[in-house]
Amino acid sequence: MQAAKKIIINMLLVTIFSFSFGTTFLFADEISEIREMTKEKVDHVISTLKDESLSKAEKKEGILKTIDSLFDFSLMARLSLGKKHWTTLSTEGRAEFSELFVEKLKQSYLDKLDLYTDEEVVVDEAKLTKKNRVEVLTYLVSKDDKMEMTYKLYKTKKNVWMVYDVDVLGVSIVQTYRSQFSGILKKDSLEELIERLRSSGELGS
Amino acid sequence: MPKIIPAYLTFIIIFSISILSVKGQVVFAQESTPETSNAVPLTESPVDDEGGFEDEFEDEFATADQEVFDPLGGYNRVMTGFNDGFYILVLDPVARGYRWVLPDTARRGVKNFFHNLFFPLRFVNNVLQLKAKNAGEEFLRFSINSTIGILGFWDPAKELFGMEAHEEDFGQTLGYYGVGGGFHVVLPFLGPSNLRDMFSLYPEMQMDPVNYVENRSYNFPKQEGEYLGVSRQTLQALDLKLLKTVNSESLRIGQYENLKKDAIELYPFLRDVYEQNRAKLIRE
Repeated sequence: MQAAKKIIINMLLVTIFSFSFGTTFLFADEISEIREMTKEKVDHVISTLKDESLSKAEKKEGILKTIDSLFDFSLMARLSLGKKHWTTLSTEGRAEFSELFVEKLKQSYLDKLDLYTDEEVVVDEAKLTKKNRVEVLTYLVSKDDKMEMTYKLYKTKKNVWMVYDVDVLGVSIVQTYRSQFSGILKKDSLEELIERLRSSGELGS
Repeated sequence: MPKIIPAYLTFIIIFSISILSVKGQVVFAQESTPETSNAVPLTESPVDDEGGFEDEFEDEFATADQEVFDPLGGYNRVMTGFNDGFYILVLDPVARGYRWVLPDTARRGVKNFFHNLFFPLRFVNNVLQLKAKNAGEEFLRFSINSTIGILGFWDPAKELFGMEAHEEDFGQTLGYYGVGGGFHVVLPFLGPSNLRDMFSLYPEMQMDPVNYVENRSYNFPKQEGEYLGVSRQTLQALDLKLLKTVNSESLRIGQYENLKKDAIELYPFLRDVYEQNRAKLIRE
């Protein structure tokens, strides 16, 4: 009787431990997978940039293709405007805003790459911040500087991990746009904001 | 009786743990089911959701919607315009010329030299924030770079020993002890700042070695007398500051213009970038 009890308890313990460890291992695995995925894509952007055999247009196309699969641009557009303003927009208004804003984001990313010279991208650790959020810490290392960039990813409904925000030296891209938009929308209408986005896009390109 | 109690307790503990873990499994299962059943492509309906998913993001960025207390807003805007003009019209062209004249290595050396001189500021603030390890590393860095690194022109502490600098200033120390930033102030030439960081400029100036350039008989050019009512000593300190600024700008040409492209309105943009960056530096 005593022995049987012991065996049952031991078995219970073993199952519990294997369950709990099983889930943590699974999580750790997924996180390192996300880290690898981000690293692969960022590395791909850099190698495209360095590839001398490609023309400028080809480079641009290749880079945009890579970042399209990593960044959830339409979510970034929504988050940057904020729910309050987004819900007041008509369907066409939303489409127009998204298109303009995503264009601006992409252009801004490509502009940043223009400054790229001899830096090296080091992908540091990835950590789980919430149950469906992972932050991947990276450094842009040049000869005498080290710039911290954090890619913030979430799990989409399609079970893919995508970037919804990037922190550069602690400055969140989405938050910066969002506070600019909310400041502008205190005095101007949404139509005027879209108009300004359009004109600034033309200025940039 | 005494034999049963431990067994009974173990059972209860194990039972509750297993319930917890089952609960955990159920939660996981619940999470994953809607993902598989709602296999609707995200692009098809980007706006349908008013549900918890979006709200979770909403909370994350809610701080961006808060009204910023900005009593000097009008002045700040004007000063941002002035600084921007000064940068574009004066500092940037001068830095570009300087870059053309001096090779990269030399400019990096000058930057290292000035950086090394600011050791007291970093050291004191690391100590004040009770960061003993970082303070110790700063001390070692200063010792190594001032000797082996020949007056700090090289940075063997980093290159050979892998010791990075630990930047800390008084504003960060105040922030570390919970002092808030106060309202935003744009300073002429110096750019974005806030009440807290502005007050810490004074002790920082006291620790800036450039202000301790002394009037010595063997200095060349001679430092006696005045020039346009300003003492030669002040002028020389100013010269050094100018060199430091132009030199560091020459190493990051194009970055400001690039950053500016993300702005829809320059002043609120730069204010936000500054405050977010400071908050991060204080958190660390």
